[in-house]
Amino acid sequence: MSETDTVTDRPASAPKARARARLLQGGILLLLFALLPAVLVWFDRGYFYQLAMLALIFVLLAGSLHLVTGVAGLLHLGHAAFYGVGAYIAGLLAADHGIGFTIGLPLAGLGAAAIAFLVALPTMRLVSIYFAVATLAIGQMLFLVMQNWVAVTKGPNGVILFGGIDLFGLEIGSRLGIYYVVAVVVAVSIWVIHRLTDSYYGNALRSLREDDQCAGAMGLDTVRLKMEAFTIASFFAGIAGALWAYTTGYISPVDFDFFESILILAMVVVGGLGSLPGAILGALLLILLPEVLRDVGDVRNMLVGLVMFLSILFLPKGLFGEVPALALMRRHFDAAWPGAGERRVGWRG
Amino acid sequence: MTAALLEIEEATRRFGGLVAVNEVSTHVAEGELVGLIGPNGAGKTTLFNLISGFTPLTSGRVRYRGRDITGLKSHQIGRLGIARTFQNLRVFPNMSVFDNVSVGATGAVGLPFFRAVAGGRRRSDAISRRSLAALERVGLVAQADDLAANLAYGKRKYLEIARALAMHPDLLILDEPAAGLNESETAELAAFIRSLRDEGLTVMLVEHDMALVMSICERVVVLASGQKIADAPPDAVRRDPAVLEAYLGVDE
Ligand SMILES: Nc1ncnc2c1ncn2[C@@H]1O[C@H](COP(=O)(O)OP(=O)(O)OP(=O)(O)O)[C@@H](O)[C@H]1O
Ligand SMILES: [Mg+2]
Repeated sequence: MSETDTVTDRPASAPKARARARLLQGGILLLLFALLPAVLVWFDRGYFYQLAMLALIFVLLAGSLHLVTGVAGLLHLGHAAFYGVGAYIAGLLAADHGIGFTIGLPLAGLGAAAIAFLVALPTMRLVSIYFAVATLAIGQMLFLVMQNWVAVTKGPNGVILFGGIDLFGLEIGSRLGIYYVVAVVVAVSIWVIHRLTDSYYGNALRSLREDDQCAGAMGLDTVRLKMEAFTIASFFAGIAGALWAYTTGYISPVDFDFFESILILAMVVVGGLGSLPGAILGALLLILLPEVLRDVGDVRNMLVGLVMFLSILFLPKGLFGEVPALALMRRHFDAAWPGAGERRVGWRG
Repeated sequence: MTAALLEIEEATRRFGGLVAVNEVSTHVAEGELVGLIGPNGAGKTTLFNLISGFTPLTSGRVRYRGRDITGLKSHQIGRLGIARTFQNLRVFPNMSVFDNVSVGATGAVGLPFFRAVAGGRRRSDAISRRSLAALERVGLVAQADDLAANLAYGKRKYLEIARALAMHPDLLILDEPAAGLNESETAELAAFIRSLRDEGLTVMLVEHDMALVMSICERVVVLASGQKIADAPPDAVRRDPAVLEAYLGVDE
């Protein structure tokens, strides 16, 4: 067969969906850089600034996990550990060496990516559920390092860093300025993730989720693609960690434990596997809802569990998902123990 | 004789004590349409898996264009120009028809992640052209945006072939493409496969539908219990006593 020229060009996604995406992108930028800052300035309360930045950081965490779990279909149970690696790199560089944002931010991302690459090398050949167990172990190991390598990480006491955010030597003092820096970093990162997943490259990753053995027969180097997705996602988790360190001025291991990984995973599942807008909405929902219901007491973990449980039962594909989470899980178990996927668990899906 | 595109030399595959493929040697010439038949469990799918790198050989060699491809990974073999379909239909169900086919094109063309971010136009154009052309070839352009899972069974079969065609292969191996199709659909498929061959594609075909194999293939290889028992034009195979014995009790 030859490439005929009679065929007209066709973009990766349908034109109508394109137009809608444009509108959505415009709306998000308007909200992020005009409306939300206006509201923040109007109320002028530190708490709201913190909350807005926390939400943005988790949007980036959920967006990056979306790449691995939602699109490539790898169940990743240790994402928060790479978030922690980024936070510690940024925090320790600032606290111990006086190295600020301009250099610390990229180093945090690269450091998290480098560690992810090294630990991924031996794990990427593991199938399905074994991979999930491996990521859980990796997350736990990194957490233990943060917790117990007191000489470097200062252990459970955490790290206090002063200095806030500097841009090429220029000190950003105002809360609004810091908000804008965080918003720009998150927006650019999400845009990159969008380009990666809404493209033929993204389709290649999706084919791993659908049937990775078959994807191999299509000429795709599946192990390499999984490594790339995992490493890139960890890079952005590291960036999110650095943002967290710079904006709060204090980091400690508990912020990066297993429950944090589950929280991020819940955001992706509730939003719907395979959908970036879904992951973003999932993050906003699971960050803002507990804050709204603050007076109920410290029930965040319970609430997260409840939202995830209800969404899996009544919204099998999450808000905008491409695949039901339960079906993916079932396939993962089936790949490890043939027949396990046939046994019915849950009500539907 | 034209140069052999694919040469299989004493290919053997054991699963524990079972010898699924037992010292099978054959070759496929460029432009040929070869059928591979045999009773259930004869080792046909396993032989395809050996060719496409899904299953490693226990012993023996596979050569493609004179090059030893034994032990290569399935994606390396795919990129060399061998595309396949599956007995148990393996389209990507939660992706659109177009996106399914684009995976085949992407695998063959290649699209590094940094190009995806930068918006690598030229490669993307090549991928979309190939994908569309493949969909056009099988008549699925109108359904390009449908979810693959929502296609009718017969159309999903064509989708799987289109995905393989988008790789621009030189050798296409089809594992029971007619399984589950009715008589008229099978006839249509036969004409389609023959037209692929007429365009210069080399095709290897596993099929239980004898009429299909005998009508379109130029040569038929017969496996039984992992061993090659015949390798001849359809008419000769039909009269071969060893083949008749292997099929005794099975249809025909
Ligand atoms: N992964 C495997 N592990 C163990 N045994 C296997 C495996 N794959 C195939 N076999 C066995 O090898 C033999 C050949 O199987 P194969 O699937 O190649 O047959 P086939 O000719 O394609 O049959 P069918 O016409 O039913 O598709 C069978 O006995 C099968 O049970
Ligand atoms: Mg078979």
